[in-house]
Amino acid sequence: MSALYVVFVVGGAEYALPASVVLQLEPFQGATPVPGTPDYVAGIVQVRGHVIPVIDLSRLFGGEALTPTFDTRIVVTERGARRVGLLVEKSREVLRVEPASLQATPGVIEENSRGFVEGLAQMGARTLMLISLSKVIGEDELNVESPKHLEPGSSGVPELPGAVAAGVARNDGGARPEH
Amino acid sequence: MVEGGFQEFVAAYVLEAEEHLETATNQLLSIETALRSGGANLKGLREAFRSLHTIKGLSAMVGVEPVVSIAHRMETLLRSCDRRSAKLPIESIDVLLGGLRAIRSRVRAFGEGKPVPLPEPELLRALDELDDEHGADSAEIPPLELEPALASKLGALEVEQLRAGLAEGQRAVRVDFNPSVEKSARGVTINQVRERVQQLGELVKVFPTSKPPSGEQPGGLAFVIVLLTRAPDAAVAEAASVEPDSVQLLASPPSREALLASKQRALGEFDANNPANEEIAAPQRGVVRVEVSRLDETVDGLSALIVTRFRLSRAVRALRDKGIDTRELEEIVGDNGRQLRNLRAAILRVRMVPVSELLDRIPLIVRSLKRSMNRLVELDLDSGGTEVDKAVAERLFPAVVHLIRNAVDHAIETPDERVRRGKPQEGSIRVECSNRSNRWLEMRITDDGRGIDAEAVARRGGVPVPATSAGLLALICRSGLSTRDVATTTSGRGMGMEIVERIVTQQLGGELSLSTEFGKGTTFTLLVPLTITVVDAFSFISGGQRFVTPVATIDEIVELDRSTLQGPTLSGKSAVKLMARRGRPVPVLSLAEVFRMPAPENEAKALIVRSGDEIVAFSIDRMLGQQEIVVRPLNDSLVKVPGVSGATDLGDGKPTLVLDLISLGSRLGERGGLHA
Repeated sequence: MSALYVVFVVGGAEYALPASVVLQLEPFQGATPVPGTPDYVAGIVQVRGHVIPVIDLSRLFGGEALTPTFDTRIVVTERGARRVGLLVEKSREVLRVEPASLQATPGVIEENSRGFVEGLAQMGARTLMLISLSKVIGEDELNVESPKHLEPGSSGVPELPGAVAAGVARNDGGARPEH
Repeated sequence: MVEGGFQEFVAAYVLEAEEHLETATNQLLSIETALRSGGANLKGLREAFRSLHTIKGLSAMVGVEPVVSIAHRMETLLRSCDRRSAKLPIESIDVLLGGLRAIRSRVRAFGEGKPVPLPEPELLRALDELDDEHGADSAEIPPLELEPALASKLGALEVEQLRAGLAEGQRAVRVDFNPSVEKSARGVTINQVRERVQQLGELVKVFPTSKPPSGEQPGGLAFVIVLLTRAPDAAVAEAASVEPDSVQLLASPPSREALLASKQRALGEFDANNPANEEIAAPQRGVVRVEVSRLDETVDGLSALIVTRFRLSRAVRALRDKGIDTRELEEIVGDNGRQLRNLRAAILRVRMVPVSELLDRIPLIVRSLKRSMNRLVELDLDSGGTEVDKAVAERLFPAVVHLIRNAVDHAIETPDERVRRGKPQEGSIRVECSNRSNRWLEMRITDDGRGIDAEAVARRGGVPVPATSAGLLALICRSGLSTRDVATTTSGRGMGMEIVERIVTQQLGGELSLSTEFGKGTTFTLLVPLTITVVDAFSFISGGQRFVTPVATIDEIVELDRSTLQGPTLSGKSAVKLMARRGRPVPVLSLAEVFRMPAPENEAKALIVRSGDEIVAFSIDRMLGQQEIVVRPLNDSLVKVPGVSGATDLGDGKPTLVLDLISLGSRLGERGGLHA
């Protein structure tokens, strides 16, 4: 069965994500850096009212931090309850990929890409690297909707009003049950 | 809270009055519906009467006379209908609703400490006329035979008192009392006279007047007493120690027999002054009105508990690390956590208000709109039993009003046009609510009007026709864009969609979407969180980046005098200096350095926070201001970091980080620090 893929460019190479996990493409007008996050997290942006983290794919894939241009886009992805933006050099295409064009990932690529690439699609002369969204944005056990967590906001119970005001250490690992 | 006595009283008055206004409004609307279908809603009439009666009483207590006089007239009108078991004339609904609006605006003005305007004479006249036409037992009160100079000194309350007294069958009389040396020698003074005439009826007013001084009256002072009484003039004269001709009739009741008769009749049915009826009128639900600020106090207390729990579990971990058996302790801490979670949920539920309360206000808006717009609209409101936090409800309401107004004003066609298009004459607006997961409320507002003409919108915007409904929505939310050339009184110029979008997405962090079919109708879908966190926050710059932090977490903001900073810096670590504060050394950390951002040399201010017993000063570049912010949690693990509790939009559409300096401070105090 063929599927639609959103194609984008990072570090001069073409990557693709299933269109089913992409909510929208947004122009990039700068992100608010969040101190203390990994260097591949470009920061947070506000997209249609939602505040979402943005991952600099170039940086994640081991390259330099992306230098924004007019073509720079945020690929807004959705996985479960999470929304994460991926910062890419450009993204203009949605392609239909036939099953026949899918290739297994050569071992060397898999090794080099640290598992980010989960397959290849050969489209004539073009080779698209199909990305594993879960590897890229990471598993987020906190955002699994389960009542086990004590942390405000992740337990399915709405955020505690005033919690911030009184300095609730929301980020304190001690809030979770001891592992 | 000691000094807040009167303020609290005023706030309670406003709350209660608003509640009764709402009841009265709803009852009037349901009476109108009943009247249109040929029925009469006597129960509604009484409910409305009781609400107005209560409003009058409350307003008299706090001394808002303009409200007293409006409410009194409305109450009288309703009561006379009720007494005669008569239908309220349908044309009176408009006037009565106008009266409620007039009361509401005055109650609010009073609540905000602004001057309360006198009732518009037109409104009072309209109410009086209605009462005259339809109220058999409340004929016009004859004008008082009182010189204008004195009459003008009668306050609204006193006029009402006279009116009510006359309606009850008392006479209004005037007693002229002239104190004299001879009279005071006999012990006859104004105070004594006042007391004695009071026993004969209701004392309305005592006017002091001046007279040319004479030997007999050296004070040159006289008094005019206005009294409501059933006693004969002679008895009054005797009580006042004056000649009988010093007592003059000011006004007599309209027709005593008729009044008495109708009073007798009414007593059997309903008498609002009867305590038994008051009891029935009192709300029977177990509802307590609480100001949100008091709830916030509870929440603050809970937050403190949660912080303590963090420390507790950390202490338990430390013990365990030392090889001590902490199993029982851990169990207790676990129980404690569950209890806190339940408590938090319970407190959140307290803050929730039914969405139906919000929807209840829509019929009134639509009613006035369809009148002025010549539209026939049927409303279908379904709250689906949903609830949202009060703070969300307050913000959401204006957006809903905008959308409803747009629907009546722009979407629903005139009855003629609808018939031409083969639609029912009466347009339909449906509001449906449902919960999407336990965090989101979905509200759909659907009309069966003309739909949005994407081509026309695009033409006006000078852009290509949007391919998707999201694109169309973005276009109509663009500032100043309207498909109408003429500004209307109801929607103004433009569709207000910009405001709707800002409320839903920026203020509430929700989503707005649109589906429309040209000629068929439009549905707007609002997805909003059930709760939001609103806090008062400082904004400031550190390391060139803007941050905000809740005011409540900051002990003090101090000027930083670099020259007085002490500090051997331990090698390899970021620079920790010390400053003296009230004789105590306080560590000063550059927030920028803590966050590994470029820190300027000349940081001028420091924010002092206290976490537990520790006090830390975070130096920053400069302060920006203070404002109320809506905090959106940062839940994603990618950006969950110590010291950052959420994000907010300061109005530029870009997120600004909300810092939790207390937890940052306690983190830094731990072994290993932030970047361990």
